[in-house]
Amino acid sequence: MLFLLILNIVLALVVGFDKTVVKSLFIHANKNIMQMIKYIRIPKIIMICITGAGLSASGCVLQTVLNNPLAEPFTLGISGGAACGVIISLLFNLSSRVGFLTVPFCAFIGAIISMLIVSILSSRKTFNHHTMILSGMIVSYMFTSITLLAFVLSPMDTLYMTFNWLMGSFSIFDERLIIIASAIVLSGIILLILSSNVLNAIYLGTDKSKTFGINIERNVKFLFFVTSLITATVVSISGIIGFVGLIVPNICKSIFGDNHSIIIPMSAYSGAMFLLACDTISTMIFSPIILPIGIITNILGGIFFLFLLIQKKT
Amino acid sequence: MIQVQNVYAKYINNTNILKNCSFTINNKDFVGIIGKNGAGKSTLLKVLCRILKPYLGNICIEYQDIQNLHIKDLARKIAFLPQYVNTNLSFSVFDFILLGRYPYMNTLKWPSQNDYNIVNQIIDLLHLYKLTNKQINQLSYGETQKVLIGQVIAQQTDIIIFDEPTAHLDIGSQNKILKCIKQLNEKYNKTIILTLHDLNIASEFCNKLILLNNGMICKQGTPLEIFQCGIIEKIYNIQFVIGTNPISNKPYLVPIN
Repeated sequence: MLFLLILNIVLALVVGFDKTVVKSLFIHANKNIMQMIKYIRIPKIIMICITGAGLSASGCVLQTVLNNPLAEPFTLGISGGAACGVIISLLFNLSSRVGFLTVPFCAFIGAIISMLIVSILSSRKTFNHHTMILSGMIVSYMFTSITLLAFVLSPMDTLYMTFNWLMGSFSIFDERLIIIASAIVLSGIILLILSSNVLNAIYLGTDKSKTFGINIERNVKFLFFVTSLITATVVSISGIIGFVGLIVPNICKSIFGDNHSIIIPMSAYSGAMFLLACDTISTMIFSPIILPIGIITNILGGIFFLFLLIQKKT
Repeated sequence: MIQVQNVYAKYINNTNILKNCSFTINNKDFVGIIGKNGAGKSTLLKVLCRILKPYLGNICIEYQDIQNLHIKDLARKIAFLPQYVNTNLSFSVFDFILLGRYPYMNTLKWPSQNDYNIVNQIIDLLHLYKLTNKQINQLSYGETQKVLIGQVIAQQTDIIIFDEPTAHLDIGSQNKILKCIKQLNEKYNKTIILTLHDLNIASEFCNKLILLNNGMICKQGTPLEIFQCGIIEKIYNIQFVIGTNPISNKPYLVPIN
């Protein structure tokens, strides 16, 4: 596992460089290249790892809480809200007026608004998995429609940037943003790991977990809040990267079992590794063009589900 | 002691399921709740465990209203095995039983050595040694039921409630499970409340029966009192002959065609 981590990081550091540049890194490092690695590649690797870990850990928890193996952070409409926030900030050109952190900030606000709407809609009566998923889908469709409307109305020059962001991109980053996002996501993952016992009990069914002395509604709200916060943070720095929160936890469960004290950390680790590998592929495949990472995760996700479908039929 | 006083309960947007139910269960009792499908047996158990809140009446354990108890304190007094528990999970039998220790844990308090020791004792008690490292989703129905009983024992409560613990089991497995529950009652002084469909098995194992019909308690008493009162014939719409088991001296029913 450590080998995989090292290999992944080394590949992510050197991918796209010329062979002579890679050789020189180990013999006599060029100052410019070292600065590029220090100020661009390493922060990008940190962001990718944080994003992958956050999305996978959240997906793992949501699949249990919503009792649905197809649930992922974006099921609850958070990405729709974030995308809406971004497109509005780009449409009104807020980044040039307020500052370049405006885009992630607007994405965060959008995600939080959608999270609040889903919370209010699903907590009107007693908690129900289906109500929550349905509320998430409604919110997602509403925000996607607003996003598409804004997309149609937006000027041509912002279209490429918006499209790139919608497909998942790590092009906007800032040291302060990385520190804040890392702090939120890592604290969130720790809180999720600490909730492993509750999640294991929730797995047994609502009636059974209630008799263990678990306040289901309070715990579900708490877990929903933490996963939403992680997703909102991650989406605001990386854009919409689908499938990571869906595939990685499912693979981890099939390998490591269902005990959350094991699968949450393993999902976080594997999610980070998976996304890092996807980024390396997206950089290499049409070099020097860097593909939006979401394209790679979506293709791999599609292949994964096709494989599952074929395997089930056989 | 459990005191149920004039309890009325219903599900959201539903008609009354339980109507004016009152009874008392003493410590160390082995109580069977019997009745037709849809009589309200499972609902009564859910009300006793506070999964469903009655809209009228109250339930007291040792003169304390369960609605006033903290949810974790209640989980240390009553353990419940519902009809449906998700066992399609990749948990080892040991870890699965350990989940029953949840009422003694919290976010920052994970399983202690004491919890592990308790689980090992339960594995000894139920003779589950061979299954300890097996995954719960690989067990037979009877084995799974035994592990689920292990999980409720792990809660270390004085009252244990089972909702049809012998459903879908063959007669041999039914006997094994009920003997195991009887052992909890006799050897470990647990108060047992369970729902059963088989009246003869209920008579054989329970010292008190509560007969439910349309959400109301029709009769409560010893199996013989219940069988002789004549209500069973009306509820089940079938004629019976009452006999006595020559070994256990417990009454049994034989339907007449």
